[in-house]
Amino acid sequence: MLAWVFLTLIYPLLDTARLSLMNVGYVGTPGTFVGADNYVRVLGTGEFWRSVRVSLIWTVLNVTLQFLLALIAALVLNQEFRGRHIVRNWIILPWLFPSIVLATMGKWVLDPTLGVVNYLLRAAGLVRAPISFLGSPGLALYAVTAVNVWRWFPFFTVIILAALQTIPKELGESADIDGAGYLARLWYVELPSISEVLKMVVLLASLWAINIFDAIWLLTRGGPMYATTTLTILIYYKGFQEYRISLAATLSMVMFLLLLIYGLSYLRRAVREEVATLA
Amino acid sequence: MRLAKNLARYFSVAAVLAVVLLPMYWIVISSFKTLPELTSPTPTFWPRTFTVEHYVRLFQQVPFVTYFLNSVYVALASTAITLVLASLAAYSLYRCRYRARHLLYRAFISIYIFPRVLLLIPLYVLFTRMGVIDTLLALIIVNVTVVAPFSIWMLRAFFTAVPLDLEDAAMVDGASRLQVLVRIFLPLSAPGLAAVALNSFLMSWTEYLFAVAFIISDGHKTLPVGMAHFLQQYFIDWGLLMSSSVLIAIPPIVLFGLAGRWFIKGLTAGAVR
Repeated sequence: MLAWVFLTLIYPLLDTARLSLMNVGYVGTPGTFVGADNYVRVLGTGEFWRSVRVSLIWTVLNVTLQFLLALIAALVLNQEFRGRHIVRNWIILPWLFPSIVLATMGKWVLDPTLGVVNYLLRAAGLVRAPISFLGSPGLALYAVTAVNVWRWFPFFTVIILAALQTIPKELGESADIDGAGYLARLWYVELPSISEVLKMVVLLASLWAINIFDAIWLLTRGGPMYATTTLTILIYYKGFQEYRISLAATLSMVMFLLLLIYGLSYLRRAVREEVATLA
Repeated sequence: MRLAKNLARYFSVAAVLAVVLLPMYWIVISSFKTLPELTSPTPTFWPRTFTVEHYVRLFQQVPFVTYFLNSVYVALASTAITLVLASLAAYSLYRCRYRARHLLYRAFISIYIFPRVLLLIPLYVLFTRMGVIDTLLALIIVNVTVVAPFSIWMLRAFFTAVPLDLEDAAMVDGASRLQVLVRIFLPLSAPGLAAVALNSFLMSWTEYLFAVAFIISDGHKTLPVGMAHFLQQYFIDWGLLMSSSVLIAIPPIVLFGLAGRWFIKGLTAGAVR
């Protein structure tokens, strides 16, 4: 097991570091040592910073929407209703499908001429001309986000729902007796009792959002006009469309460091909070 | 008052279900529409005439069966290897005592959270050197690597529930560690293994990034990669996309029906403690 981890995780990271200091194009061709040239090039071009910006917007949008939708859906499904056991398990359905299904669905419903979304918008009199959601630089990122959120929020709904069910019923009942309204109960009883799980959901959602490749690539290929080129897309593009492996490796290293900083700051905050509760 | 409350309750549940189910409904009914109806600018909400032509074309016009079998092979092999590796590792982590056990556990978990795209370039280079690039073996190796940590995490709840006494008794009777694992742990945590198997099957079935980067020849493509080709052509063949989307979704649904509740349990037992 350890050998497996070394071969597929530690060695690759070291190899990425090595490649990032060379100028290899196609895989298999020899390269020469170029020092920090790639880093200078990457950090000095607008291409990289634009992707950082897109990645940030993409991550914040995705995490916020997935979190809110998951929380709302979990609260709704936490009620008593007929068939609740089946619904609570099967709500995860969109998450079970390959992203190609998701992309097909997204492209199909958002299509400017054939899509049902445009049809409904026109029928309701909201727009005159069809909108190309995935084809316009200003909208594409939001359209892909909507499709991706549809796939991921049910996954987090299941986790939040499980957390909600660990809250003892008496807690809510005593709040009811004290005359607390629904929102007050939510704010003072339910949310605080599941705050640990909610924090974990935010951490996972953000790391996974940064990681998303397939939904974006299949829907827009990073376009139009690079509007949906996140760091992940940029790495794939450099490595497998432009065949500049060293540059892709450099991007990977920079992304690795950025994420490490994010992960560590999150951990440090968690530790500090733990200390604060002890004191 | 009570009626209003009940109405609000069922209305809210229905709204959540609609958000999740309507897009799927749309794909399923579209897959049965004739081509003119499918590509008419005025969509119909129920097919005027049902047809299975798009399903038939999948088997006649494109190598759907090849893609499908490749996907099945990769998913089954990845699942089998993951089951063996994850149960060995989980037994070691949760039941054997040695130094750095907790550190190792943390390390596994952080791997799972780690963005996979960072492995793309180095693994591509490594596999090219090993000569397994463009083979299904490459995908199996990647899938196991990506899925194993989470599988170990899922097994935790099931393995730690096995009573220590049982293990001690077996050891006294002269059973080796491996025998204890195979004879006692695995049968007792069968639901956990089902959860792990479902998870690794799903992950391998849906994997796209590595499959598109590592596979070049048409005969080795998995289903998601083969299908993506239909989506990215200038004239999109919507009929083929709809029918293959429906078919590709069936294995996950069937397997979830079989092992879904164990999967949900494994997923949430680790998260909610």
